[in-house]
Amino acid sequence: MSENIYTYGIIEQEDLEVATEGVAGAERIYTIDYRNLSAVVSDIDTTEPERTDEDVEAHNAVLQHVLEYDGGRTIVPMSFGMAFKSGRTLKGVLRGARRALRSTLNDIEGTIELGVKILTPADDELPQEDIRAAVTDQLTEVSINETENDLFTDRLIVNKSYLVDRKQRDAFDAAIDEIEERYDDGLILNYTGPWPPYNFVDIHIGAEQQGGR
Amino acid sequence: MFIVDDLLVKPFLSLLDILHTMALDEMYDTDAIRDEIKENRLLYEVGERSEDEYQRRKQELETQLGLAQQIQEQMRDRMEIKT
Repeated sequence: MSENIYTYGIIEQEDLEVATEGVAGAERIYTIDYRNLSAVVSDIDTTEPERTDEDVEAHNAVLQHVLEYDGGRTIVPMSFGMAFKSGRTLKGVLRGARRALRSTLNDIEGTIELGVKILTPADDELPQEDIRAAVTDQLTEVSINETENDLFTDRLIVNKSYLVDRKQRDAFDAAIDEIEERYDDGLILNYTGPWPPYNFVDIHIGAEQQGGR
Repeated sequence: MFIVDDLLVKPFLSLLDILHTMALDEMYDTDAIRDEIKENRLLYEVGERSEDEYQRRKQELETQLGLAQQIQEQMRDRMEIKT
């Protein structure tokens, strides 16, 4: 029986139903309200979902659907695996984190996150520093903020997340196209998103608030 | 005589233990395996690795990670008992 609640993220209070498959094959994605906030959720039969590729993709797909829903919604994303014992437990968590959630929703209003990874071809010796500087300068100009992520392989010369105003999305896309063209035969570009601003929200749900998870 | 022997042998044993632990640490470096898992995924996403290849390597690395975590845990327990 599905009694537990899997949570994808938090939006301004709104009744929302998203037409996509959720984590653990959930068919219905809906919202649970707490005052002027709504959690985007689905039912699940565990509080400790296994982190499989399929479910991580489903988690991201739901967030992207909400992000693009009817002209766009702002959503504070939860990391994968936030499942609560019941709707009541979830409301308790929302009560505890309400202030932080409200202020984060205001901070990220109208923004999206875009991911940029640039790889050098295997066994290639390109002037990595120069390329990195040129590319990141160009992308910094069309973004609000950025975070440097882990360079987990020697071939990775850029791994950044950019916070971009929705209105600047086309300018960012154009900059990416230009970079792609410029380094056409040398570099491999992995451009992802739009994502909710995962790397630009900093909400910690404390142990006390998670009680009963 | 026993005490002298013990004193002479013990530091040597500890040094061996440390070297052994260092070697195991390198062999079962969980961060390095996690990096390889991410690299495998990225190479698949950019089309450098086929889905079969990606899945096979992913399984290998996940098994390796599970084993490394177990070994690291056992090594920590061993070090805690010693100190």
